[in-house]
Amino acid sequence: MVSRRGFLASGAAAAAAGAVGAVAGASAAGVAAEQNLETFAANREAQFFGPHQSGIELDIQAVTNMVALDIKDSVTKEDMLRWMRLLTDDISRLTRGEPVLADPAPELAIGAARFTAYVGFGPSLFAKLGLDSQLPEGFAELPAFSVDQLEDRYSGGDVLIHIAADDPVVLAHGTRGLVRDSMPFASVRWVQPGFAHSPGMIPAGLTHRNLMGQVDGTANPELGSEDFNSVVWIDEGPKWIRGGTLMVFRRIAMQLDTWDQLGTPSKEEVIGRKLSNGAPLTGTNESDVPDLGARHPNGLLVIPEFAHIRRAAPVESAERIFRRPFSYDNGMNERGSMDVGLLWTAYQRDISRQYLPIQRRLEKLDLLNKWTVPIGSAVFAIPGGVQGSELIAEPLFS
Amino acid sequence: MRKTSLLFLSIALFLSGCASDGEVVAQDLWVKSSEMSIKGGMTAVYGTLTNNSSQDVVLVGGATEIAGVVEVHEMAMIGGEMKMQEIDGGLTIPAGKSIVLEPGGNHLMLMMLTDDLEAGEEISVTFDFDGAEDMTVNGVVAKPAEGGDEDYHSGEMDN
Repeated sequence: MVSRRGFLASGAAAAAAGAVGAVAGASAAGVAAEQNLETFAANREAQFFGPHQSGIELDIQAVTNMVALDIKDSVTKEDMLRWMRLLTDDISRLTRGEPVLADPAPELAIGAARFTAYVGFGPSLFAKLGLDSQLPEGFAELPAFSVDQLEDRYSGGDVLIHIAADDPVVLAHGTRGLVRDSMPFASVRWVQPGFAHSPGMIPAGLTHRNLMGQVDGTANPELGSEDFNSVVWIDEGPKWIRGGTLMVFRRIAMQLDTWDQLGTPSKEEVIGRKLSNGAPLTGTNESDVPDLGARHPNGLLVIPEFAHIRRAAPVESAERIFRRPFSYDNGMNERGSMDVGLLWTAYQRDISRQYLPIQRRLEKLDLLNKWTVPIGSAVFAIPGGVQGSELIAEPLFS
Repeated sequence: MRKTSLLFLSIALFLSGCASDGEVVAQDLWVKSSEMSIKGGMTAVYGTLTNNSSQDVVLVGGATEIAGVVEVHEMAMIGGEMKMQEIDGGLTIPAGKSIVLEPGGNHLMLMMLTDDLEAGEEISVTFDFDGAEDMTVNGVVAKPAEGGDEDYHSGEMDN
């Protein structure tokens, strides 16, 4: 993994090299390198075919659209299969940076830009189609939490299409194609756009920052690791969910006006981490394991009882999740208060054993609750990936 | 009419909507699903046909299990309006060149549909050529689509 310090140092070296290059005059190689740099995002391609749907075990992209749909009353399993046939082909083409079949605007397919989309299904879909026997273990609607102020317009849904890319135009074009092919089968329930850093802002593997300023996603299982497999990817149960995962979605509004009234030390105590680099208050690097028992000379806990990372820390070893939160920015009111927050997503094999115990602790005591309010919520079961001519979720609807 | 060799069929099964028998290659084929593509109604097949041979090939017609009538159509200005009409003598694919069948342009018109054609369904389409073997392509997918300013185009689509 590249350290932040190493990244900054290499950036400085590159800037210095650039200055030397300018003095020496632009070489052909320099021009080519610059052109490559200008279009590097367009040429980066995610992998569509494989054991898992793409867009989960992947460094977070720049922009996203989460689209939830409700199926039409007449829709059957056979109709779902036809819908999945269209989506599977569309996503595979868009992932390669190509237009979909019948694309009315093929000229907008200007690059792959790490386009990904995956499809998931809410508990309501299983009920509507009589597929209760296919429900994965540990998958059900979340219970109501005392901290919730949920709104229908941000919650629920029969089907989720979660789309992301490193370019907003690529995202919009891909979204249009996937939604167009969904309209014979469903209507849009909600769409929630979000974003993270642009390509080139942070090295791969580094945790990005949310709009409260915190590095968000520390202690995630590492992409590509055995640990990731054991936390996220399901390998038993109904055939369609093998290679898949269960997702919790929470739209979490941030109260930035009151948050900004806190000083840095207070903000750090709320989380239990340093704002500068995400290190626990008991350590120096983001990757340091928090020492939850450490005390100040005066006897007070360094990471307070109410701190977010103490409350979120696993009590049982199974209580781990993979978080991949995008930010949202939905404008501001006349007083300049920003309507911002997180499209918070967590992936796990079993919601009841992994996410729920953590959320129950946070619900009871987490000082962060004062500045963060869940206003949307949904759960989706994400089928496994496809190979060759397979369709997404084919075993579920066949 | 239909000359489906076993070899050809196996290729078509792997590459739905794409096919090759060496002379003419079909790519990115699709058929339109719209409010018109119902039993007794009509639709059209689109995509790219490439003639890899050294002589011109003419697309003169076709066949599919879902249509009573198949014709090669073009869009033309007729009396100040864009209308579709059958192409006299078929559509020539010059040696070594491609033609694109697209909404608002040339297309393989399917009429007198024998059943509703719904989004996401797959059909087989046979292209009849002069100057090349006829070609059957399986797995041509029905895409919900409008556009192209074709004269049967209208309003909202639903399934």
